[in-house]
Amino acid sequence: MSATAPVPQDKKKVSTYCYQCVNGPDLLTVEVIDGIATKVEPNFDLKGEHPADGKVCVKPFGLVQKLYNPDRIKRPMKRTNPKKGRHEDPGWEEISWEEALDIVAEKMNEARAKDVLDEHGNPRLAFTTGGAATPFKYMGSFPALLFAWGPFDQSLGAGGTVKCYHSEHMFGELWHRAFTILPDTPRCEYLISFGNNIDASGGVTGVRRHADARVRGMTRIQFEPHLSITGASASEWVPIKVKTDSAVMFAMLNVMMHEIGLEKLDVEFLRDRTASPYLVGPNGFYLRDPESKKPLLYDNNTKKAVPYDTKGTDPALYGTYTIDKAIEVGADEESWTHDNVEGTTGLDLTKQLVAERTPEWAEGISDVPAETTRRIANDFVAHAHIGEFEEIDGRKVPFRPVATVLGKSVNNGWGGYECVWAHTMMQVLVGALEVSGSMLGSTTHLAGDTDWDRLLTVDVGEDGFMSHTFTPTSKEGWNDAPLNRHANDTLTPMSGNNMGQQLFGSTTIAWLRLQERAAESWPKPNPPDVWFVYKCNPAISFSETDLMGDAMAKFPFIAAFAYTHDETNHYADVIMPEATDLESDQLLRIGGGHYFENHWESEGWALRQAVVPPQNDAKDFSWIANELARRTGLLEAYNSVINGAGCGIPLQGEGYDYSLDITKEHTQDEVWDAVCKAASHDLTGGKEVLDLDWFRENGFKTRPYSRLNWYLYPAIEDRDLRFELPYQERYHRMGKELANRLHETGVNWWDRQLAEYTPLPVWHDLNKLWDELIEKNHDVKAADFPFWLLTGRSMQYAWGANVGIQMMKEVADNVFGHDGIIMNEGKANAMGIENGDIIEITSPIASTRGVACLRQGVRPDVIIMLAQFGQWKTPYAKDLNRPSLNRLVAMDQDYIDGGGASIDGTKVSIKRVGAAQ
Amino acid sequence: MNRFGSKLQTHWDWRAAGNFMFGGTGCGLILMSAAASYPNSLPLALGLQALAFIGLGLFLVWLEIGRPWRALHVFFHPQTSWMTREGSVGTILMPLALAGLFMDIPGLVALSGILGLLYLFCQGRILLASKGIPSWREPAVVPLILSTGLSEGSGLLILTLYAIGMAPIQGWVFFSFIAFLAFRTYSWTTYLGKLNGSKAPKKTLSILNGINPLMLWGANVAPIALLLTSMFISTYTGLLSCLAAALAVAGGWYMKFTIVARASQVQGYSLGKLQKGRPKMKAPVRRKPDSFVFDQKYEKENA
Amino acid sequence: MTRYVMIADLNRCVGCQTCTAACKHTNATPPGVQWRKVLDLEWGEYPDVERLFVPVGCQHCSDPPCMHVCPSTATGQRDDGIVTIDYDLCIGCSYCTVACPYQARYKVDKPRFAYGDTPMESEEIRFDERTMGVAQKCTFCSDRVDAGLEKGLTPGVDPDATPGCVNACIADALSFGDIEDEESNVSELLAENTWFQMHAELGTEPGFFYLWDKELPEELQEKMQGE
Repeated sequence: MSATAPVPQDKKKVSTYCYQCVNGPDLLTVEVIDGIATKVEPNFDLKGEHPADGKVCVKPFGLVQKLYNPDRIKRPMKRTNPKKGRHEDPGWEEISWEEALDIVAEKMNEARAKDVLDEHGNPRLAFTTGGAATPFKYMGSFPALLFAWGPFDQSLGAGGTVKCYHSEHMFGELWHRAFTILPDTPRCEYLISFGNNIDASGGVTGVRRHADARVRGMTRIQFEPHLSITGASASEWVPIKVKTDSAVMFAMLNVMMHEIGLEKLDVEFLRDRTASPYLVGPNGFYLRDPESKKPLLYDNNTKKAVPYDTKGTDPALYGTYTIDKAIEVGADEESWTHDNVEGTTGLDLTKQLVAERTPEWAEGISDVPAETTRRIANDFVAHAHIGEFEEIDGRKVPFRPVATVLGKSVNNGWGGYECVWAHTMMQVLVGALEVSGSMLGSTTHLAGDTDWDRLLTVDVGEDGFMSHTFTPTSKEGWNDAPLNRHANDTLTPMSGNNMGQQLFGSTTIAWLRLQERAAESWPKPNPPDVWFVYKCNPAISFSETDLMGDAMAKFPFIAAFAYTHDETNHYADVIMPEATDLESDQLLRIGGGHYFENHWESEGWALRQAVVPPQNDAKDFSWIANELARRTGLLEAYNSVINGAGCGIPLQGEGYDYSLDITKEHTQDEVWDAVCKAASHDLTGGKEVLDLDWFRENGFKTRPYSRLNWYLYPAIEDRDLRFELPYQERYHRMGKELANRLHETGVNWWDRQLAEYTPLPVWHDLNKLWDELIEKNHDVKAADFPFWLLTGRSMQYAWGANVGIQMMKEVADNVFGHDGIIMNEGKANAMGIENGDIIEITSPIASTRGVACLRQGVRPDVIIMLAQFGQWKTPYAKDLNRPSLNRLVAMDQDYIDGGGASIDGTKVSIKRVGAAQ
Repeated sequence: MNRFGSKLQTHWDWRAAGNFMFGGTGCGLILMSAAASYPNSLPLALGLQALAFIGLGLFLVWLEIGRPWRALHVFFHPQTSWMTREGSVGTILMPLALAGLFMDIPGLVALSGILGLLYLFCQGRILLASKGIPSWREPAVVPLILSTGLSEGSGLLILTLYAIGMAPIQGWVFFSFIAFLAFRTYSWTTYLGKLNGSKAPKKTLSILNGINPLMLWGANVAPIALLLTSMFISTYTGLLSCLAAALAVAGGWYMKFTIVARASQVQGYSLGKLQKGRPKMKAPVRRKPDSFVFDQKYEKENA
Repeated sequence: MTRYVMIADLNRCVGCQTCTAACKHTNATPPGVQWRKVLDLEWGEYPDVERLFVPVGCQHCSDPPCMHVCPSTATGQRDDGIVTIDYDLCIGCSYCTVACPYQARYKVDKPRFAYGDTPMESEEIRFDERTMGVAQKCTFCSDRVDAGLEKGLTPGVDPDATPGCVNACIADALSFGDIEDEESNVSELLAENTWFQMHAELGTEPGFFYLWDKELPEELQEKMQGE
């Protein structure tokens, strides 16, 4: 080592991006001195383009250490010990890339020779990744290889449906093309958050927009059991009891509908833009016009029921009316013809639903004082500015600056349906849905895979609503033989059934089935012949993790793309060192409107590029894809997929053709050069065609994106559509049909889930449900597990695969609780537990230990374990000795809701085992 | 949990504490022995012992510093810091005392005794200037350091005189020892009282209050009582006064070790009093790095 | 005259530690050394609890205690108020470290790296032997400020003349600039908001201001002094 810092010979700044989480990409620059990456900085060229002026979050600062980490896998390796198990040494032996790729290709070819599907109809090839699928933003042309392959199984999740906003995704897309939901933060005045930890999970733009909003004076009410990062900066923290959020939301609906009254709500919006006036018949389906089969509403002008799209009507919002003639259409085309039938409006049924759900009732359930609920509901309405408009780019758009947002385990798992419906209804009542200042959606994956611009998916569908495709549940359409191991096409029709939509099926079901713990009447599926694992670690990140490893040990062939050794690739047969964030190339869309708080006023493309050559023997994914495509004889198909839109944009489009010769092998530079040209051509309408070298030099290219595109309302209005709320007729019908199908095939083990398909969500006492399920499934007394164990978002660690990065640990440790278990100080002291003591946490399935981190800002009946630890193999992380919630959370079919999701928490007991060390 | 970041400073450990313990004792000893012997020669054993204590203190500090071979820098800047002043006083004191001792010049010895007092004062001021540590920055720490140095020096003088067989000891030495102990009692009580009335960290207070009984009764009142008793029971004068001296010295060391190495919690962070309006700031006090060394470095870099 | 100060808007800060990380990159500090970091504070009693994130580091006092105690004159101060350390003069006595009321100073005696004794390439190329065994702390990125000024840039406005932490702050909570300039960003922020300086009662007059609008109740101030 030299004595003093050497005088740098060559110093440059290289532009690239970080997409370690869905809030990306964060564009950044890396300083490279004499060929060594030294530091990360924001990309200041984006000032004014990017909502946070090109700043980057804390995670990219870990990338330099990630690059040079001595613990990296340096060369491909193969297992020499055929026995797989947690306590078996895999006997890793370094091999060449040639050998590694030959082994993998041989396994792929063997599988393909048999058939891409196995005898159960499941794909023989499976691919798993994590990070809410953000690893796809790192995979270069590899997805093209997968799609060239044909059916591949993505059901072996790394935590999806448990670690995600599942009910919100499903219903959000149905109702307002909202795979994710966010406030129009730059304009919102009053925001109610039920456990949404946006300051830890909202990325750079989320943090910046909320900070700006606070300074501007936005009120943010935070309901949550522990005072999170976000709660810290909220106007008010309401320490709500776990899993009782829906009670408070129902009570707010009660206040709005029974105390405040319709006249102070957005009558016009309810009448014209929702299904509120649609009349519901005695069988629970819309009363329809016998001729046109269109849903009926009651016209106050003519005093009779008319189809919903009749012009010049004054539809009744409340009331029950007798209709001369109407039909109802139920499940499996069952229909009822009625004479003089009574029909009640959907809004009236909603009002009735919440009639008993008073703030006083909710107080007993949630610990939220009735006065608080009432005050907040009133303030919410008062801030809605009903009747006001804003003009955006010449278009008049309603201005309703109020929003409600939900957090994880509020918006998924049991109770998720109630919560997502209730908070969306709060918005609907004041017309604050998809308009300026209000609650917005972003991104579509189910209605169409356009995560950057959801407006492309708005089409006219049935009954005055947007079109939306569910997996068929009809006799003819339903698939009784699942196409993949979690059976999303068979069990969860809302999750869709194309290859991308597999990610929204219940991945818990897949693992449970492999462990023979679910779907008892179905055969146990085979593990995939070839399982690819990339940028994820399900043996740590999913639930009941001890059993996850056991399941993986039985897989015949696992090919892991690996950064370091970890708890999942411990079971692999071949591991291949991946090029990390700063070592690989990919062109990616930026801007537009996507995910959390990421509505921009520009859109375009940015290049991720290798700022230094890959370390050791790591390889870029596109290179790997090329090699495997050739070895598996899929080169032409692979090139064709790339020419399609396999790298993000078709290479041939209106007025341009940069497509590749499909018969030839192309270097990754040739591929990205073509993609760069196509993307820039498309972006600029052919005015500028920018090649790979241009993007390497300049990093990104954008064009303006109108704020009008942030809102769905104008598109709804233009098509004279209605938001499909409050009544869920389609969902109800689908549930009935699904029940019929399952029962016809002898499936009775999904009945608990089927019961969720009600047209209006029924409030459930979830704490009682949990006690029941614990006793039913685990042979224990529920009273012995009096605490809720929850997790909390760590901005420093989440999704970054950086638990082995020293600097991330160092800076994360400044945020309270990363090194142990957060517990209420008063409660702990009453139990004889002092700060720093070692405590043992026991759930019905497992125990773990950790250091007590005492604080006042957490409910006495709740404990928190931040992030995801519990590593036993990952270098560096395994020595941190930190507890993991995931080991303690049971995987069980009973915990899965109708949509396939379950929550990220469990009931536990606490015992002090020793003094601080 | 240290909510607001109050925790024990670990930058100055037992080595730094050793400087206050032994340096203080050595200074007290050189002063008292000079006074006790003047105008006669100071016995070599006494003088060397005092200098050894001061030297040991400085050596321990030297062990603590990160760049020990640059330690000389300290001696070039008496104007800058109480630490440099301490060092400068030490640099004069040592040769002066050695010259006095070996050349048998009682005047020089007496002068070094006075410098010892100054050295003690510097030590007090070193602590006082440490604004990060509430138990040090308390102004009452200065008389405490002075009084304990003098008490320890007197005690050690008595012990040594007995040890080298130079008893009986002049009466005023006893009386001044009692007076210094009384001064230390007062200083300690005042110091503790002031701290208890301040917003010093709880941990600091609990440690200091924890040693208070031992300090007050064991290290101060008991020696005074023993000394007074010894005046009346002449048979045991030697034993009792030696016991008193040992208690005084050990107590002083224990107290200084505690203050420097154990009860030295930083104050932690806090929010402050809210203000409004654009502030008018004082001009920075400013001090440039030493021009002599700076210029040398500059020349070196540009050579 | 110019006097550089930094401002942290506590209403904006969310404790994400991006500034902490950015500082580590900008100044190549070894593991465990954080010239800039953000505290995660809490006070009150359940359910009336406040949690607050407070960025800390060298406050670049007008009258810095660290400078007065420095025996070697290694700690100095520039005309623009930035408190400096000359690594070549410092003897590493840590006197400044105990004198600083803000726990802003560090001393690392031996090379320290992220993964054991062997530096990664990125660490090796930026390792500076001069920092061993001497005091170190936030410099307000004076090297960036000076380099920027030479190019005619404005510190606190142009990224190339602005401290790394301020550049990196995603909440726009940190600001930097010249308080003597009445028109500057920092002057405007201070004129328009209520603010405090930490431990102002010690007479240090920090060049670091916190925008905030709530005072702690007296009894909590007591508690705040630590446990």
